[in-house]
Amino acid sequence: MTTEARLTRNWGNPEAVGIDGYVAAGGYEALRTAVGMTDADIVEQVKASGLRGRGGAGFPTGMKWGFVPRDTGKPTYVVVNFDESEPGTCNNRELVEREPHRLLEGTAIAALAIGCETAFLYVRGEYLWQSIVLERAVKEAYAKGFLGADVAGSGKRIDVVLHRGAGAYICGEETALLNSLEGLRGQPRLRPPFPAVEGLYASPTVINNVETLMNVPDIIARGADWFREVGTEKSPGTKMVTISGKVERPGNYEIALGTPFRSVLEELGGGMLGGGTLKAWTPGGSSTPMLTAAHIDTALDYESLAAAGSLLGTAAIMVMDETDCVVDCAQRMVAFYAHESCGKCTPCREGSWWATRVLERLEDGYGKPADVPLMHDMGKNTLFRAFCALADGTAAVINSSLQHFAEEYEEHVRLGRCPLREAPVVEVAS
Amino acid sequence: MSSAPSSGGAIGRTKVDLVTLSIDGNEVTVPKGTLIIRAAEQVGVEIPRFCDHPYLAPAGACRQCYVQIEGQPKLATSCTVTVAPGMIVATQNTSEEVREAQVANLEFLLLNHPLDCPVCDRGGECPLQDQALAFGPGESRFTEAKRVYPKPIPMSPLIGLDRERCVLCARCTRFCDEISGDRFLELYARGAGERVSIAAGEDLRSPFSGNVVQICPVGALTATPYRFVARPFDLTSADSVCRHCSAGCNVRVDERRGDVVRVLARDNPEVNDAWICDKGRFAFLHDDAPGRVTTPLVRDHGLEPASFGEALLQVADACRQARVGVLAGGRLLDEDAYALSKLARTVLRTNDLDHRRMAQPLAVDRRAALSAVDRSRAVTYRDLERAPVILVVGLDAEQEVPILHLRLRKAAARGARIVVVHPRVTRLRDVAEHVVCPPGDEARVLGGGVDARLDDALAAVRAAADAAAILAGERPGAAAAALTTAAATGARFAYVTRRAGDRGALAAGVHPTLGPGGRRLDDASARAEIETVWGPVMAADAGRDAIDIVRAAAAHELDVLYLVGVDPLRDVPDAALARRALQNVETVVVQSLELGDLEPFASVFLPAASLLERDGHVSDWEGRSQRVRPLRSPAGISRPDWEIFAGVAAAAGADLGFETLDELHDEMGRLLAPHAATDEPIEPETPAVRDELTLCTYPLLIDEGRMSEGTAELKAALEEPAFAEMHPSDASARGLADGLGARLRTDAGEATVAVRVTEDIAPGTVFVPFNQPGLAANTLLSGAFTAAVTVEAADEPEPAVAAAGGDAA
Repeated sequence: MTTEARLTRNWGNPEAVGIDGYVAAGGYEALRTAVGMTDADIVEQVKASGLRGRGGAGFPTGMKWGFVPRDTGKPTYVVVNFDESEPGTCNNRELVEREPHRLLEGTAIAALAIGCETAFLYVRGEYLWQSIVLERAVKEAYAKGFLGADVAGSGKRIDVVLHRGAGAYICGEETALLNSLEGLRGQPRLRPPFPAVEGLYASPTVINNVETLMNVPDIIARGADWFREVGTEKSPGTKMVTISGKVERPGNYEIALGTPFRSVLEELGGGMLGGGTLKAWTPGGSSTPMLTAAHIDTALDYESLAAAGSLLGTAAIMVMDETDCVVDCAQRMVAFYAHESCGKCTPCREGSWWATRVLERLEDGYGKPADVPLMHDMGKNTLFRAFCALADGTAAVINSSLQHFAEEYEEHVRLGRCPLREAPVVEVAS
Repeated sequence: MSSAPSSGGAIGRTKVDLVTLSIDGNEVTVPKGTLIIRAAEQVGVEIPRFCDHPYLAPAGACRQCYVQIEGQPKLATSCTVTVAPGMIVATQNTSEEVREAQVANLEFLLLNHPLDCPVCDRGGECPLQDQALAFGPGESRFTEAKRVYPKPIPMSPLIGLDRERCVLCARCTRFCDEISGDRFLELYARGAGERVSIAAGEDLRSPFSGNVVQICPVGALTATPYRFVARPFDLTSADSVCRHCSAGCNVRVDERRGDVVRVLARDNPEVNDAWICDKGRFAFLHDDAPGRVTTPLVRDHGLEPASFGEALLQVADACRQARVGVLAGGRLLDEDAYALSKLARTVLRTNDLDHRRMAQPLAVDRRAALSAVDRSRAVTYRDLERAPVILVVGLDAEQEVPILHLRLRKAAARGARIVVVHPRVTRLRDVAEHVVCPPGDEARVLGGGVDARLDDALAAVRAAADAAAILAGERPGAAAAALTTAAATGARFAYVTRRAGDRGALAAGVHPTLGPGGRRLDDASARAEIETVWGPVMAADAGRDAIDIVRAAAAHELDVLYLVGVDPLRDVPDAALARRALQNVETVVVQSLELGDLEPFASVFLPAASLLERDGHVSDWEGRSQRVRPLRSPAGISRPDWEIFAGVAAAAGADLGFETLDELHDEMGRLLAPHAATDEPIEPETPAVRDELTLCTYPLLIDEGRMSEGTAELKAALEEPAFAEMHPSDASARGLADGLGARLRTDAGEATVAVRVTEDIAPGTVFVPFNQPGLAANTLLSGAFTAAVTVEAADEPEPAVAAAGGDAA
């Protein structure tokens, strides 16, 4: 399986991290082109490319930009969501580490598209090194005139402000991110109003994922048709995947959307670690419903995964083999969501907290027969009931693990221990 | 001036678009933008809720109010979704899925709830308890350990927090953010560890703090004075109106075995929304205070208990052929004020009658009196919500009429531009522009050319004409200046006096020049109108105002001083003069709940029934007359004031003409109805001669006043010791620094208090609160509420703190 390297084409070039190397590799040409275009033309070209948001929801990017009203008398803002926090996901991180200027170029083009003069980079709190890399890149871009008062000689102003989060998964949710950026508690906001109309500082705002924006320079420089050469009709372009878990070669890879999971696992990931057996996998991070070996031929794109009962999400593939206990995995994942719940709404705050307790009990061998139906209820009562989608991630873990591995739950209760762990040795004092 | 519409409050009324939808099969039509949960209330469907509150912005936090909207795959929270035409909504009453979701959510909410209802103040009136009882599971599936927190955690001396009971609905934090603006409470941490908290070392120091207790949907926030005091089903309640200020807040008073134990706000969107201030909520001990006297007393050798008949005869005898001065306090009911006005004019035959704390030019009083009888002349709370621009002149709303302060904040949130002209910056500072000027300088400042922002605002007022509102308070000169501005711009005007009975007393004519309905007694035709109802009244010569009545008494020019619910020693802006007045009249009649400091002076005491024991009306600053209902019958043999006045008349051989409340109301209706009246011309104020330093004083909300007595927690939370506030330029010129003692000297006396140095006061002004612990400011006054003052350092500045203590080598 070979895919044209697009986002990763300069990954072999260590110079691409600096502005000179990036420019030498053709960087910022798209920005020079974009300053000569009308904002409407930029939006049209991105619409034509069919680029969809890479943060998980897959919303068409050009359409999102088109929603921004320009006649409100308020400034407009571009906010880059670099709060990459989904368990199993780390491709934004490597994209930025290796080629930060591609992000800045995409950001600047997005700013031109919506008439924005100030863009914000919201960086996950734990990404200290990446924010240092970005900060250096921002300085370089200012120095070379790609940012600042006169972007690429156009007379237009674009300032970029880098803001580090304080370490909260919820701030990847766009309205919580806006709250955090404004200095408020990182909790999601009520919609409507939608950020496109009233976002940052109650002004029209576009929030885009890092990978999404890094696709933009090529779309401008090489055209929408070129972009569509790869991928599927409805999911054009390439997608970064992060494969981790029980595989031989975990890491970040760029694939054409629509590539079957089997080839990602076998060709890019090098197959199951130590020749193990595929038991379960998440296609898009821990918040996307887990699938099984039966789904190994599912194509990795928005539509195929939805049909399989899951989501592309951030395309963070976590692979589990026969030695991995599903209850244990579910417990760890749900514990993560319990820890990261912002606390605002009841089903997420209390549901994930309780589910963690019950899963712990099951895994430790203290489960009761009533716990399995209880977990069913817990999944049902958190899915689509919460203020934002965070709890849907909790529900996805519970529901999908129960859907595919109910027997394993029952076995925990029956045996009074995890079937994949040794039976505890009880020493009896003589 | 303005062509006022026939009913009050018509500023900026707009046409409302209506939306029709179906809820559980019932069609309902509501204004566009209505939330589903509110629309459901219209058809009698109560959707369970915890975080939703009609006066707070939607939160969608508790997730209890799910409904099914046809065509939508997920359940929606009815507290966050607005209605749409043709929407088909199913609630828990018709959708099993909704019901199940609500039960499931309730199960989540109860996981960590301590279920300590039997010892919880909320038990019996708790939404969580009610819903758990109505459709919660009988048994919990939760078997692990619950979250535990230390409790109660004091948020202030008044408010305790039990985090275990909290359902994290954020009503309290939203109240602080959205309504009071006193942002003390915040959610801390996240997930299951999220909790309500307050910054370390901070107190919830807000005069509106008690509201968070009332809106808490569980027993998480409790009021210290009510903690473990009563079960709701042991309480007897009555709907009343708060008597602490002129805001007119609707309250419910709860009594347990004869003692008032709690006051709650009643929801009235025309007046107080759902809020009351902490004084209204917690200062309720006065009626049951140990000093209450419920039997008439007559001085023989000492003050001896007497029958009402005996006491009334004594009063009638003393007043016969005597020069009588009548002073009334600020908390009479409308009926009392009317009866007193009639008693004075027709029986006691005196115009030396006044209730005012602060004399104003006649034009101001008359405007206020007319607005009470003709509401089309009034400014209402609603008007403020719709006004594009509001001027607040000489009024510290937060301290004087707290609920008006909240309404001004609401107006600001809706886009009103508010400019406050006042000697001090007020707590509207985050939503209003402030123009500070020394007391008495308002006329000059409002005249234009002094402050560019104000001039700009005045242009906006002129443009908005009668959609704009000007509110004037009691600072000397402020009301006259504000009325002049209102007349010049066409803005609506209200004179906002502080005390609950002020407006009713003005309307009834407890005033030296005005009779009932704002009629001038020296105007022949107005006088004739009065006489058709009252018969012959007192001669037309203008009476003395309050301070002159006291001066006349002190100068032996009066024989009788009839004091109705007033203590001149505390209220008159010259304490020494008041004492001389009480000593120098023949007879002092005290009609009140208590004798207090008047005990040595009283010749006769007439016990009045308290507001809680009364049926009648109270008029708020708007002029809105609201009914109060009795919680209980009068204590002892005390009587409503108006009955006592009728008794005095009868004892004097006269007849006030009413024996029942209905008869009294009939008569009041004849004189206190709208009538043709032209506004009094307002003569421009001559700016006061500026002294180098002017003392300015007004009462703060929680002070040493009688009404707050015995409220230890309230005082601990909100009462400040006496201080003198000065501008840095004035302070540094006198070698004063923040926190140091200052000696204040006026013609009347001197006092030493701690200085507060702040930029938030007009240069040249020294503010001293009227009656805080440590200083009764009327000992520094000579008949007016301002005085020339000199200030000097009272102590040597503290030496710079020497390095470390004894163990430093």
